[in-house]
This record gives sequence, structure tokens and C-alpha cells, in this order.
Amino acid sequence: MRDIDHQDRGGLLGPLKNLSFFARQPITEPLGPRPASANYRGFHLNDWDLCIGCSTCQKVCDNAAITMVKVPGLAEDPAKGIRNLRPAIDYGRCCWCALCVDLCPTGSIALSREYVHTCLDSELDSYFILPDARGIHGTPYPKGWAKSTDADLVALERQPMTEQAAAVRIENFAEIVAGYDANQALIEASRCVQCGMCHDACPTHMHAPEYIRAIWKGDLEGAVREIYRTNPFAHTCGRVCTHRCETACSVGHRGAPIAIRWLKRYAMDAVDHARVKQIAAEGRADFISGKRVAIVGAGPAGLTAAFDLVRQGHDVTVLEAQAQGGGMVRYGIPDYRMPADRLDRDLDIITSLGVKIRYNTRVGVDLTMERLQAEYDAVVLGVGLWMGRSTRVPGADQAGVKRAVDLLRAVAAGEPIEVPQSAVIIGGGNVAMDITRTLARLQQQRYGEVRITLTALEDLDHFLADADEIREAREEGVQILDARGPQEILMREGQVAGLRTWGVRSIFDPAGRFAPSYDPADEQIHPGDLVVEAIGQAADVNLLGEALTEALQWHRGRLQVDSQGRTNLEWLWAAGDMVRGPDVVSAVADGHRVADSIHAYLSVQEHAP
Amino acid sequence: MIEGHQGSYDRIKSKTSLKEILEVACSFESSARDFYRDLAPKVSKNIRWLAEELAAEEQCHYDLLRGLADHPDSVEQVAVEVQTPANNTRFSDAIHLPDLGPRPDDQAVLQYAMGREHIAMEHYQSLADGTAPGPIRDLFVYLANEETKHKAELEKLYYETVHSGGV
Ligand SMILES: Cc1cc2nc3c(=O)[nH]c(=O)nc-3n(C[C@H](O)[C@H](O)[C@H](O)COP(=O)(O)OP(=O)(O)OC[C@H]3O[C@@H](n4cnc5c(N)ncnc54)[C@H](O)[C@@H]3O)c2cc1C
Ligand code: SF4
Ligand code: SF4
Repeated sequence: MRDIDHQDRGGLLGPLKNLSFFARQPITEPLGPRPASANYRGFHLNDWDLCIGCSTCQKVCDNAAITMVKVPGLAEDPAKGIRNLRPAIDYGRCCWCALCVDLCPTGSIALSREYVHTCLDSELDSYFILPDARGIHGTPYPKGWAKSTDADLVALERQPMTEQAAAVRIENFAEIVAGYDANQALIEASRCVQCGMCHDACPTHMHAPEYIRAIWKGDLEGAVREIYRTNPFAHTCGRVCTHRCETACSVGHRGAPIAIRWLKRYAMDAVDHARVKQIAAEGRADFISGKRVAIVGAGPAGLTAAFDLVRQGHDVTVLEAQAQGGGMVRYGIPDYRMPADRLDRDLDIITSLGVKIRYNTRVGVDLTMERLQAEYDAVVLGVGLWMGRSTRVPGADQAGVKRAVDLLRAVAAGEPIEVPQSAVIIGGGNVAMDITRTLARLQQQRYGEVRITLTALEDLDHFLADADEIREAREEGVQILDARGPQEILMREGQVAGLRTWGVRSIFDPAGRFAPSYDPADEQIHPGDLVVEAIGQAADVNLLGEALTEALQWHRGRLQVDSQGRTNLEWLWAAGDMVRGPDVVSAVADGHRVADSIHAYLSVQEHAP
Repeated sequence: MIEGHQGSYDRIKSKTSLKEILEVACSFESSARDFYRDLAPKVSKNIRWLAEELAAEEQCHYDLLRGLADHPDSVEQVAVEVQTPANNTRFSDAIHLPDLGPRPDDQAVLQYAMGREHIAMEHYQSLADGTAPGPIRDLFVYLANEETKHKAELEKLYYETVHSGGV
């Protein structure tokens, strides 16, 4: 560029140039700003109804221009992935790069075409603003830079999971899903926006963003380390967790949530078992406290408590009625969802830390609670819900009518069961699906065909079972009849011949309480040599004996415990399904809670004069 | 108790004044309350809440009927209630009264209680059917209606208790 000569005063005729403006109309520029271009990056707009307070915008902002502000009165629900936070922008820092817009999982935030903000010296803090859908001045401006398919940095599609086809899987009990390979896991992990909604929603608050990040970085041992911070049932939860984290995942608002469970499964399978054992043992106390804890039940709740307590230096003995550990994970969940060898790995890691398990020992029969109280410093009950409920309709007490949990246990234990040529299942939850699909496989193996009818009170929209379970059961040849109420078990020549049902008119009362009403005119007969009831379960608390049952406090049929899982008796805690439920990860969370409480109690005892 | 119902049915049939009918109805409720009160200490502590809750519930019914029996304006109140009958969903048709043995469980206690309300409802209904229109008939309809409401509440408790646990 040529230098400007500032001394140049122009030519002699220069002033005459002004005459050229003489006849022009005056132009008055409006005081307000002129409209900006269509894709302008002006001040932020944020639709508070769409925004879930996930903080992704804050995390991605390189200028640290965003602060998440708690807004009292806004909804907050960790289980649904909703926080009552909203982003406030510091316009002294913002460079209008719009990364916050491009990475916002919900698409709530945008940049407007508004760009003027002035203030007096005394109002300098007015550059820190909590924008809403009306922008920063409350005057509606159109959107400028907003979420678009081209600029969206959120990957909405999940890596597909390879599964056995229905015609193949019905022939075997092998795990249905194949799992991710390294490449799929990497791509899936890269979709995570690290908002941490999953962490809040998870009952045991797993460090999912951290382990997903570690997977993305290729640090699989680091991922296992993060997983073991909160969950010793790592292989189990990588396969059958109810994955509430995924329900809360912010990416799920517009696309498929991150496959958090499958990523956990991947990391656990990818690291050598011996190395996982070493990682799980890291941070274990290098002293022995001299305190003894007895735990009744080797399910996820009892064994998580045991895992924590041995790590804290206590001597832990678990008493288990069955021949193997894992509770309902082994004796309820079928192999095609939870292969036993993976559960064995979880148990191997727990016992390798020093947890002793005495199998085939039923407390209440082989030894009493009083003895445990006398011999141990603290006792935990984690006996689950092992008594299947019955409809008690006429005929329900016949030999050809079974409870789902009893049958599943027998199959898992390898006990011979009579495979029926046709069966009717009562129940619409996941337990009903598990027994249905187990029997379907056994029928296919024995008779070459599946003849099972599942009847449930709920209509399909209200089934408790996962939608995937329903779909897969149908693919495997199961007939699912919704909105049917059981009335009577039908008998022929002393043998169960089927089930009589009535149609269900409605299942909820106006207040939303479960209150089925039937239509007797809509009667159906469902033939079957076996009827299986899968309507609910209760805890078998007979082990307590009468005196202890009287001494304990109860709440509507369940043992009453405080927020730490402690009963009203100083020496006794309870955890897992028997007090809370309903799934493995909740039992794990409970196990941690009681272990913390026991450890605190034992530590006080230790320091007592 | 169920046999007792037949006797009570005959008793109430022979009563003609509103006050007398309400007195007998009160005695039904108080005998049910006493039954559950007696039952409470006999069942295991973990299900005692049910017997206690049922006794408290019967006490409420008793208090309601007592209030009606003690107030002369009760007839009008009954007529108002009768205009909005509770819906009998016929769930209890599927309920079969078990023999409440020495150590009943929660489900048996609930089935028993539902069956009891069901029978009471049917009895009041048949009394209403056999009575000429007028205040006495209105009263029977009202009582049948009350029992239907109680039964509907019990059905919900039944479902919440039995169809629970597990996944
Ligand atoms: C069919 C089925 C499918 C399921 N599917 C899933 C799923 O996909 N995902 C999920 O997250 N959850 C699932 N669950 C639920 C999950 O299994 C439970 O929530 C979890 O196992 C509860 O753990 P827990 O330790 O409390 O009890 P449990 O796992 O039931 O363990 C209790 C243990 O106590 C032992 N015990 C009982 N009484 C005594 C006694 N007197 N003396 C000694 N030992 C005793 C039992 O033998 C058992 O080992 C399923 C449950 C069932 C029944
Ligand atoms: S990323 Fe989007 S949804 Fe999440 S807090 Fe920011 S504006 Fe709200
Ligand atoms: S536009 Fe860029 S700099 Fe401004 S708040 Fe958003 S991410 Fe931060």
C-alpha cells in the first residue's frame, strides 16, 4: 500500500467538489442498528424450555466466557438429565466463535442478529448476561448463527451393535450381542460431549465421562480404573445394567444417546483379566483392622459391601445359600444376556481381594442370625427378592404352575426341568421376558418349535419390560397378548391345560394408581402345559426368626433402614433389592452406602477408649 | 366372618328405620375393625402394618356411619351421595376368599379384606334392590356405594403390594 502523505493539502479545485453534493437529498441514518446478515453471530439466544443445563456449552468455550448459573424454580431431575442451570455469557470474553451453538446437544442456544450493547461506566457488569429466548435485551431479534446440519458438531447416530439374528439365537444360550471392536468403541466414545449428566443419573455415580474419555484416548487401563472407582460389578453392568445414564444422556435429546453401557463392556473385555485384578486392588488398605463383618447373600449388594470393606482392611465373610455367587445376576438373568463366565470374572476380582464366601450356607437354617450377631462386629443383610409372587387365582397352587424366579434358578443351576411343549406366562416385566425367552430356547432345542403365550395386565404402552425385550421375544416366535387379566388355571385330567383370562378395560385410576378393571365379556383361553407366574417378588425374611423380626422396624412390609442402610439395631444393616432395588446398579450403590456406614461405625469402635 | 355376614344381612333386612339400619351398619364396621385389630398381633411384624391399616380404615368407615346415624339430617346427605355412585370394576370377581389360616401372609390378608368388602357391597346392593324407592332404599344404595369405594381402594393396595418387586 502506498504511504499517505499527510501534508498533502489537495488541489486548488478541491473545495469545488463539495458542489457535487449540492442537489442531493439529505440522508438520515436511523439511530437503531441495521439488520445484520442472515448468519450473523450476534448476542446469544437460549430457549430455556429446550435447554437442559448440561453445561456442554460452558465446557467447549475456549474463552471461558460461559458460567452456568443456577436458576431457582426451574425443573431439576437428574434421572431425566435435567439441571436447573442456564448459561450466562461474559461478553468481555466471548469472541462469537459459536462453538457453543455447534456443540449444544439440544440445539437450544443460538446467536442472534443483534450486535449493539452500550452502557454507562456504572453498568459495566451488564456485559455478563443470562440470555433467554428473547435475547439479552428482551427485544426479539431473529436468529443468526443457529444449529444446522452442516455445522452440527454433535454426532447423533450410535455405532451399531452386531447381534445374533433371531433364527440363530433361538437355538442357543450364547450372548446375543457381539460387542464393539476397537474402532467402533473409539467412534462411539468420540460422540460424548462430556456433560456428566450420566454421572448424576447413575445410582452409583459412575465416572462415565472419564472412562469414555479414556477409551477415546486409547487408555483402556485408565478406563477400567475409572470404572472400578464406583463399580465392582463392572463386567455385569457392562452387559445388563439398566443404563439410566443413557436415559439422561444429553445427546439423546436429538439423537441416540451414547452407548455408555456397551463402552463399559468394551473396556472391561479389552483389558487382560489379571491386569483388571491389579487395578481393582489399587488403594487397598495395607493394614488389618481386626474387625469382622458378616454379609448374608452374595448378590451385587452384599458383594459390593464386601469389596469395599476388605479394601478398608476389614475381615469379611459372606454367607451364601446357593452353590455359587452373584445372586440374581447368576440365578435370574439368562446366559444369553449375561454370560456366566463374565460374572465369574467379577467374582474372581472381589474374592481375590480377600472376601471369603461360604457357599451352600443358608442363614436361618444352617446358622442363626443370633450367632452372626455374637461372632461379628457388624452384619449386613442382602438377601434380595427370592420369593415369587402368585396371582392365587383358582388352580395357581397346582404342580404345573411355577414361579418365574424358581424356574430361572433351576435352569441356571443346571437342574433338570421338564420342558413344556406349550406354556403360558403371566407378567409383563423383564423377569417375565427372561423366563419366556429361556423357555423358548429350551423348547426350540427339545421340540424344534416355540409355543409360548405371554399375557400381561398392562397394554403394550405400559409394559414394564424393555421395548427391545418385547421386540426380540416376538422375533423369537413368542405370542405377546397385552391387557389380559388372569382368572383361572384350567385343568384337564389332573394336568394344567392353560389359562383363562379377561380383557383389561383400563389399568390406572384417574389418580394414576395401578387399578385394573376387567371386562368379563372379553374372555379368552390360552392353552399351555405349564403356566409361569412372573408378577412380582418379595423378600424371604424367615431367616430373621421371630424375635429379631419383632425387634426390627418395618415400613410397609420392607425392613426399615436409614439413608445409610442401617436398621434400628446397631449391629445390623440391609442393602439391595430387599430394601430398595430394583436393579444391579442400585444394589451396587447400596452396597457402597452400607460399607461406608459400617466402616465409620467400626472406626469409631476402634478409637473408643 | 363371612358366615356372620349372612346373619347380619338378615338382621339388617328386618330393620326399617334409617337410624336402625345405620346402627347395624356401624356394628358391621366395628366388628371388622375389631377383627383386624385382633389379627395384628397374630401376624408377623413385617406385615402387621396391613392389619393395622385395615383396622384404621374400618374405624374411619365406622366414624362416617356413626356420624350419619347420630345426625337427623343424614338422609339428605345420603341422597346427595347416591347421585354419584362409585364404579364397581368387578375386579373382586376374580378374588377368591382364602381361609385366613393361623399365619396369613400379606396377600392373604388383602384378599380376605377385598372379599369382605365385596360381599358387604353385594348385600347392601341386594337390600337396595329389594326395597321400594324412598329414603331407605337410598340408604342401602349409599352403603353399597361406600363398600364399593372401600373395595376399590383395597384393590389398589393389593396391586401395589403383590405386583411389585423385581424388574
Ligand atoms: C430374572 C431377573 C432378571 C433381571 N435382570 C436385570 C437386568 O437386566 N439388569 C439389572 O440391572 N437388574 C436385573 N435384575 C435385578 C437384579 O438381578 C437385582 O436387582 C440384583 O441382583 C439385586 O442384588 P441383591 O444383592 O440385592 O440381591 P440378589 O442378587 O437377589 O442376591 C441375594 C443373595 O442372597 C442369597 N440369600 C438369600 N437368602 C439367603 C439366606 N437365608 N442365607 C444366605 N444367603 C441367602 C441369595 O441366594 C442370593 O445369592 C433381574 C432380576 C431378575 C430376577
Ligand atoms: S449446551 Fe445447550 S442444552 Fe446444554 S446448557 Fe448449554 S445451552 Fe443448555
Ligand atoms: S460464541 Fe464461542 S466464545 Fe462466545 S460463548 Fe460461545 S463458545 Fe464461548
